Amino acid sequence: MYAFIAVVVGIVAGLILSPTIPDWMAPYLPIAVIAALDALFGGARAWLEKIFDAKVFVVSFIANVLVAAFIVFLGDQLGVGAQLSTAVVVVLGIRIFANVAAIRRWVFKA
Amino acid sequence: MSWLAGLGRDALDPGYAEAARRRHGTTRTRGRAIAVSWVVVAMVLAGLAVGVAVRSNQINEPSAARARAGMLADVDRAQQRAVALEATASSLADQIRVRQQELGAGGALQSVADLQAEAAMTPVQGPGLRVLIDRADGSNVILDRDVQLLVNGLWVAGAEAVTVGGVRLRATSAIRQAGGTILVDNKPTFWPITIDAIGPLNSMHVAFAETSGYGRFAGFAANYGITFEVSDVASLSLPAAPALDWRYAEPGTGTATASAPATGPTR
Repeated sequence: MYAFIAVVVGIVAGLILSPTIPDWMAPYLPIAVIAALDALFGGARAWLEKIFDAKVFVVSFIANVLVAAFIVFLGDQLGVGAQLSTAVVVVLGIRIFANVAAIRRWVFKA
Repeated sequence: MSWLAGLGRDALDPGYAEAARRRHGTTRTRGRAIAVSWVVVAMVLAGLAVGVAVRSNQINEPSAARARAGMLADVDRAQQRAVALEATASSLADQIRVRQQELGAGGALQSVADLQAEAAMTPVQGPGLRVLIDRADGSNVILDRDVQLLVNGLWVAGAEAVTVGGVRLRATSAIRQAGGTILVDNKPTFWPITIDAIGPLNSMHVAFAETSGYGRFAGFAANYGITFEVSDVASLSLPAAPALDWRYAEPGTGTATASAPATGPTR
């Protein structure tokens, strides 16, 4: 419950404050968001399956965001930034989809 | 592709299962409040990231679209302005001609009128050839240099006035290409392109058929299926060319001397 409220508060704050993103950060933000979403859904699934662990969640969240941004940064330096972004989005997208499917199975028992 | 299948199967971070296993044996050591506050902080961060990303995307997207629309509007405005200025220049040139005629059309003024006619600054009419060319199914078979060759063939065949795509050619006219579009005097023409040439009807048709431009287009028609039709027209009327827009050249004083180096147009 706290977590849900916290997410809503964060989203609303982001929408209202709308801080200016520095130019160098612009390519990495969407990827970081996808990684954050992956950690979010993973945490939600773990919570539903009663194996949620705060430390695992926080560490995986921060690590996912940083690693995803770093992979894209590395790709940019090598000239394959767009392709690596696609790869990150595909991998994380599959994970998000699988986790949401597991949550759906858990919630609806179907 | 087992790793790809595993991606969907092991979607949940294995860390959770491991932590659960570790926890199973021992009792809870951590304070619950600390754990909750950590999760809340992470959640706020995640929400913040999502919100900021959505917001910045919303801000950026319309600005790109706006810039594009603005540029299109600029192009439209510039084209309209060019058309209006051309019309003004032509009407002013007409006024000059009318004033000259009022003053008496003989002598020097008559020669001015002749020069204007030779410079393609007056509309003309007469018999001539109409050439219709069109590329086959949007392919770029016909290039600017082909059209140049064709028009040069018409001049060679005795044409006295030529329009390409409705644009009257003058001494400084250029036929160029931008992508698949032929530009005549920087004005885009649209396929199919009609080329009108006023000149001696019978002899021009025969002479034109012997030019290399005609041969090239006949070959194109045979090999690539382009449209290439030449027809005699008893009376063509061609518009005036836009007035010359000299910006640097000024009429010299006196007569040109033979000592001046003869420099032709360079290509």
